[in-house]
Amino acid sequence: MNGSDADAPLIERVKAGDVKAFEMLVVKYRRRIERLIGRMVRDVDLVPDIAQETFIRAYRAIPQFRGESAFYTWLYRIAVNTAKKQLMELKRDPLVTESARAARDEDEEPGSRVENELTDGETPEAVLASKQIASAVNFAIEALSDDLRQAITLREIDGFSYEEIAELMNCPIGTVRSRIFRAREAIAARLRPLLDTRDGERW
Amino acid sequence: METDMSGDLKRDPEALERLSALVDGELDADGTAQVCGHWRESGEARTAWHAYHVIGDLLRSDDLARDPARDASFLSALRMRLRDEPVVLAPAPIATPARRARWSWKASSAVAASFVVIAGAAVLLSRGPADVPVATASVAPVAPAPDRQAAPMVVADEPQALVASGKLIRDARLDRYLAAHKQFAGSSALGVPSGYLRNATAIEGDR
Repeated sequence: MNGSDADAPLIERVKAGDVKAFEMLVVKYRRRIERLIGRMVRDVDLVPDIAQETFIRAYRAIPQFRGESAFYTWLYRIAVNTAKKQLMELKRDPLVTESARAARDEDEEPGSRVENELTDGETPEAVLASKQIASAVNFAIEALSDDLRQAITLREIDGFSYEEIAELMNCPIGTVRSRIFRAREAIAARLRPLLDTRDGERW
Repeated sequence: METDMSGDLKRDPEALERLSALVDGELDADGTAQVCGHWRESGEARTAWHAYHVIGDLLRSDDLARDPARDASFLSALRMRLRDEPVVLAPAPIATPARRARWSWKASSAVAASFVVIAGAAVLLSRGPADVPVATASVAPVAPAPDRQAAPMVVADEPQALVASGKLIRDARLDRYLAAHKQFAGSSALGVPSGYLRNATAIEGDR
């Protein structure tokens, strides 16, 4: 959704030796990368390991990242290659073919979806937690004022830049920035109790 | 942990607003540096960075809500592995515009290097055994020149040039410069240390 250069400032910092900037990218992309790997690998226990390996490889290769494509496109390729390689090494049976994946994506009816999630090896508790999180976010968005809801939606769903949103909402860029921040804070307030790590793990 | 977080939030909402802008890629290099520092020091910043991204993911797709609470444990496991990795240091300067800066830096050092090569060649041409003044200070090592008239080697303040067989003249300052900038010399033989040259001569002599 974000423009191809949205990650550029963080990537520049990683290239200059700031490992924390890389951690921030990991927090941003972990869920998307695991979802991608989960579509390729049947054994759900392998998914976090392959995701770890993907990020380590990306970290090693980041000096060669030239920004010609979006960072996520580049990371996506690394994840696919890492998954393929690990599966070959492990000699498990596991690669869902492109056509099978496409068929599965088309199958996304509400009923079959829970089934899919469960066949992916997720516990019913995890599925329930996901649903709770999703409904908390939806509820929080409904509760926002029109201005805040419009600002965050234009940004996150439509992918507009602050400048474009300022034009659309007929207000200064600083107001856009502030509205999006306040919307996020309002939603995050409802989300935080659900995001608290179970083991009290600290970030 | 809870109190720690809310305390942070009350203390620095401006920092969180900057963080929110970085989520959208709407922050310049200085602002990014500030946010990275904040992330490093504040649990609240890390929690907020995570929550803001989960919100964005959820708005785009419900199935990205899967177990976001696991992100923290994923990151701490990854940190253990990153600790064993050498720190990335790509040659790009952090200042923007990075590309242009890198280019001019390379270009100017290339110009500087070629300038020194030309200067070195000029030294080679202008200094012959005949017009060297009398040695006054320390004596520089001179290779024996059996088939030519031995000319006393000269050094003014410090050893600057060596004459071997009347053919090879090396300026010590140029050597030091080239040694220090070997990485820019590419495959040029000028960057090769003199010790290596002596070996080559010895092999030829043996034949």
